[in-house]
Amino acid sequence: MRKIFRPADFIFILFLTLVLALPSAANTHSLYLAGLIAITQAIFVGRRIFGKNPEKIIALGDALLIVYIFLLLWELATSKFAWLDKFLYPTPGVVIKLFIEDMPNLLKGLASSAGLLIGGFSLALATAIPLGLYFGYKRRLKLAAKPFAKILGPIPPIVYIPYAIAVLPTFRAASTFIIFLGAFWPIFINTLNGVSDIDKKIMDSARMLNLSDRRMLLNVILPGSISSIMSGATIGLSFSFILLTSAEMIGATIGTGWYVKYFSDFADYPRVIVGIIFIGIVVTIITFFFDKLERYLLRWRKN
Amino acid sequence: MSKLVVKNVTLNYVNESKSWTKALENLNFSVDKGEFLSIIGPSGCGKSTILNLFTGLLSASEGEILLDGKKISGTGLDRGVVFQHYSLFPWMSAKKNISFALRQSFPAKSKKELAAVAEEYLAKMGLKGFEDKFPAELSGGMQQRVAIAKALAMDTELILMDEPFGAVDSKTRVVLQDQLLKMWDSGSERKTVVFITHDIDEAIFLSDRIIVMSSGPGRVKREIPVSFARPRDRFSFTKETGYAHLRNEIVNLFYDDLADKIGGEEVVL
Repeated sequence: MRKIFRPADFIFILFLTLVLALPSAANTHSLYLAGLIAITQAIFVGRRIFGKNPEKIIALGDALLIVYIFLLLWELATSKFAWLDKFLYPTPGVVIKLFIEDMPNLLKGLASSAGLLIGGFSLALATAIPLGLYFGYKRRLKLAAKPFAKILGPIPPIVYIPYAIAVLPTFRAASTFIIFLGAFWPIFINTLNGVSDIDKKIMDSARMLNLSDRRMLLNVILPGSISSIMSGATIGLSFSFILLTSAEMIGATIGTGWYVKYFSDFADYPRVIVGIIFIGIVVTIITFFFDKLERYLLRWRKN
Repeated sequence: MSKLVVKNVTLNYVNESKSWTKALENLNFSVDKGEFLSIIGPSGCGKSTILNLFTGLLSASEGEILLDGKKISGTGLDRGVVFQHYSLFPWMSAKKNISFALRQSFPAKSKKELAAVAEEYLAKMGLKGFEDKFPAELSGGMQQRVAIAKALAMDTELILMDEPFGAVDSKTRVVLQDQLLKMWDSGSERKTVVFITHDIDEAIFLSDRIIVMSSGPGRVKREIPVSFARPRDRFSFTKETGYAHLRNEIVNLFYDDLADKIGGEEVVL
């Protein structure tokens, strides 16, 4: 049945022993690393005791194994044996310590970034979905819109950044606009295609009910194309992240992208790594909730 | 009195190789009020096309179709429809599918009343307890029962069914046929039903009259009345006098077309 001992456990014990037993160079803060690993392992063990899905637990164990090995190599290469240049490659302990200490700054930056992201992305959702649905439903409009989508859609929105920052009055307006632009086309095009892909027989059934345009769009076309809309929104969201951080690196005075850029200008690489990890975590959390939302909206599908 | 009249109807359409094809040629027949009419024929004979002319999803190239004496133009809420697939919206529960359609038919009624009607018809079709299930959570047979419940709840005088049991297993099909006939026969007034099928036994068991079609282009080959008494019992009525003869007649009509196509050789089916 459930194996008591997992490969990750072995590496964990080896890890703790090495981290604690081997002497470190000064100020490497190896205890922070040991603490993080201990907490992670505790969560893993907790999952194993209370978790129900054995396949998920095995996958988690395998993922942890990789994380442990990576962190162990990092720790050995920096703090223990100093194989790597100290200036360019901070120790994991230092990064973890900074991550905790700098959290207020990171969160402040996140609040600013989130404001821009939510503004631009919701503006894109609020325009691209209704337009996509309506244009997709009216054949003539769809045919008219397609060439524009084909030409304008593939332009990497990143190229608009310098111009938008120059033209628009504030950085806020410029970056909101760029995020909007980046998210708009994938959502619009996917919505348009989603409407065309609704099974003809479903449309026939809907037509038999002589629905008003409003009910047709809201109760048939929207749910019928929701799967495409969500994949468009997912692409749009990842574009938004890329654009947001790029814009912040170019023109902002606050925000997560700015954080990374600012400290790399000072060659403060521990903080650069902290910033990168922080962005990674934020994106993962948002994607997680986005997946949950998608699953909820498509709950009527078989599995 | 005739509920539906098909007058000199021809339908041309542009096929995949962009040339005009005749799908239906000079059809003439009518369906009486309260009659259960089946249309059978080999695949490609245009029987589903005829049904789509009745739904209003297609319109005839020549001729006209009269419903209650008025020419059909476009879809309408005076016709209930059950397709082989996707008569239901997959994102709505069984109950919601019915109440959503009912809201179109009876805009004056409250949501609560409509939900009650939906529940009543689902219960009649033996689906009590499945009201809140999505179509994907129901078997094919159950989905078709919901679709039939929907068509009946809309309380239209005309019900159009396009191979509604074509995709369910044979055991379920028998149950559904019985249930359909029971519902059709139980009201104060029988509804007019046009039923498309390629199953000869199904057509005989259900119908008052059968139209046999031939293909390429679709034409009416023969109209055959089925006058066995109702209610019909599936097991005893096959032993009635005339049943075997009737079945043979239809089988011959059905397959000589096929034999012609293969060049008159004997066809092993």
